[in-house]
Amino acid sequence: MPKITLNGKSIEVADGITIIEAYKQLDEPIAHYCWHPGLTIAGVCRLCVVEIEGNPRLQIACNTVVQDGMVVNNNSEKVKTAVKWGLDFHLINHPLDCPICDQAGECELQNQYMEFGKYDPEMAEHKVKKRKVVDLGERIVLDTERCILCSRCVRFTNEVSKTNELGIFNRGDRSEVGTFEDKPLNNKYSVNTVDICPVGALTSKDFRFRQRVWYLKDKPSICTGCSTGCSVNVYYNEEGIFRLKPRFNKDVNGYWMCDEGRDIYKHINKENRMVRGRYKKDGAWCSTLPLETAKKAGEKLRTYSADQIAVLVTGQYTNEELDVFVNYAVNKLGTKNIFHWKNNPDGWNEFDGLLLRGDKNPNSKGLQKVLQKHTVGGEWKDLVNQIDKFKAVVVAGPENLQAYPDLKEKIGTLARLECVVWATADDNIAFEGLMDFTYLIPQKTSVEKSGHFTNYNGLEQKVDVVTTLLSDSLNLEETVELLVGESVDMSQREKEDMHVMKKNYFTTERGRL
Amino acid sequence: MSIVKKPGAISNWYLPGIISGMIFTLRKMIYNIFHKDKMPTLNYPEEKYEYSPRFKGQHVLTVKKDGSIRCTACMLCATNCPAQCIKIVAAESEDPSVEKYPINYEIDVLRCVYCGYCEEACPVDAIRMGPEWQKPGANGSNFTYDIQELAYRPQLKGGIESRLDEQERHDFGI
Ligand code: SF4
Ligand code: SF4
Ligand code: SF4
Ligand code: SF4
Ligand code: FES
Repeated sequence: MPKITLNGKSIEVADGITIIEAYKQLDEPIAHYCWHPGLTIAGVCRLCVVEIEGNPRLQIACNTVVQDGMVVNNNSEKVKTAVKWGLDFHLINHPLDCPICDQAGECELQNQYMEFGKYDPEMAEHKVKKRKVVDLGERIVLDTERCILCSRCVRFTNEVSKTNELGIFNRGDRSEVGTFEDKPLNNKYSVNTVDICPVGALTSKDFRFRQRVWYLKDKPSICTGCSTGCSVNVYYNEEGIFRLKPRFNKDVNGYWMCDEGRDIYKHINKENRMVRGRYKKDGAWCSTLPLETAKKAGEKLRTYSADQIAVLVTGQYTNEELDVFVNYAVNKLGTKNIFHWKNNPDGWNEFDGLLLRGDKNPNSKGLQKVLQKHTVGGEWKDLVNQIDKFKAVVVAGPENLQAYPDLKEKIGTLARLECVVWATADDNIAFEGLMDFTYLIPQKTSVEKSGHFTNYNGLEQKVDVVTTLLSDSLNLEETVELLVGESVDMSQREKEDMHVMKKNYFTTERGRL
Repeated sequence: MSIVKKPGAISNWYLPGIISGMIFTLRKMIYNIFHKDKMPTLNYPEEKYEYSPRFKGQHVLTVKKDGSIRCTACMLCATNCPAQCIKIVAAESEDPSVEKYPINYEIDVLRCVYCGYCEEACPVDAIRMGPEWQKPGANGSNFTYDIQELAYRPQLKGGIESRLDEQERHDFGI
């Protein structure tokens, strides 16, 4: 274990790591663009220079391996000057785009300039103009002028997604990042290039211009897009959720996440949610508060005997909720007819080799465990086989209806039953197909509750409340309480509502925190 | 109470105060009748006071040469605004040389404190505080100004042109 001194602090590090990694371990600031912990070393930006005692020239920290007794610093005048003018070179042809650049606020160029730059540019030549607003497929827009040619994105497509779309073309100041003949960059992990791009050269179409990043707050959560359960940061403000970015987790997703998972925020936002509880009476929908609907549903359910009730459950709830729910089904409803509804039983175990899995539920493993505990559980087809036996069904439905493409057809089957009690977070036109005595109970989504999800590997991960979008929706535990006829204290929720309502329209609508 | 009344003081007597006040008023009145041109008051609203062009009054969104709005929807004004009264919705422009523009730009002038920070924050001279100050309205909603009002209200006669020219900037190579 070599012992080294960084900026006067000594640290013992593992053999064979680079100086920049040692800096990161110490949490000492060091400028860098091209180095990324999840990618190989390129050593092209020359911004991570450090001074090593005994070495007359500055060395790059990202490509120099530590040796015992090394004395390194990056805060001497010499290093600072080198970084400063290195930055000037990067900015020679960089456009003055910050006002319209989505990266502004989280841009490494801006950060480094404020930290190391603050020079007057000494370049008298005109800037080299390159192509802007290049459409790179479904999710990405490229601005070649803003690119600093760090090659992170190129290395990502070479090493991680292994799709090799991106490359750097031409030479000298005409070098341009891009795809061959502007072929679209449509791999399943393409938006990661936007995350790792230290500048605003690659921007996400989905997020483009929708918010300035300084209006957003982020909190850690778990992606509920599939059973991998990638760690993510959720970026939100009072208007809702705007994007997800991967959060490093060495046990699950490393530094990456898939593009599909980035879309899950859409079903969480208010536009797609079931806002009010609804029930159908004499062919017409009535809407009430969620808790009223749940109470009514509970009353109706009590009119059926245990063997007339089927229970359908999806792996889209936390372990705690599922435990309470299955417990309720077994002990309170007294039914053993509990069925596990899977989004695609045929492609259930599909895996694309990196992250994405065919099981589009964050907590199928957790559900299976709970079902095993009570020695119950069947499949959708078991339910269909015995459907005439049942009169009522209680559904702990999927939070993300998009993950269940055959929803309409499934609803068609369930509509044959007399009474359907359906806990759902999302609204969908397909619900219109349900008959009288249908109760739709609005649920919270994964960002609005805390609990644990068990991923495909059996790893239990905690989620915490990120934000509250619909304060009167219920979680499954509360729904169960109401179904059995107990009451739930909503006074705290009302306070949340008041807190939002008191603020001026411009404050709430604009998205200040 | 900061007014200290001394018992028995002359200022407590009613008539001397009234009379000296009336004498002052009459003197001014007679003076004004004979020196009409020197009168400092205005017959508002028939006559209006013209402030200097530097007066920080009603906001103006400037326009480009072609009459389209100059603002790039960078939201720096909204960020800088201490009253949080600017609301901007940005969108992707059809024209790739513009890229980003506001489809909605609203200022709630009842919340605005006319500090001019928005003008200072704007990197492209897209918002200015104009000399207009007189803006009556019947109810609260009349005071949320949108792009139409801020950039193209009739008083602006087709819009104020920004002094920052995109083509010049481009030719200069920045
Ligand atoms: S990449 Fe950074 S410095 Fe360049 S225009 Fe965008 S925000 Fe500004
Ligand atoms: S597009 Fe971004 S990540 Fe790719 S080379 Fe340019 S600056 Fe680096
Ligand atoms: S003048 Fe001041 S308060 Fe009014 S909009 Fe501009 S920044 Fe906001
Ligand atoms: S008025 Fe100026 S500061 Fe405000 S959004 Fe438009 S360009 Fe940006
Ligand atoms: S980070 Fe070391 S050269 Fe770029």
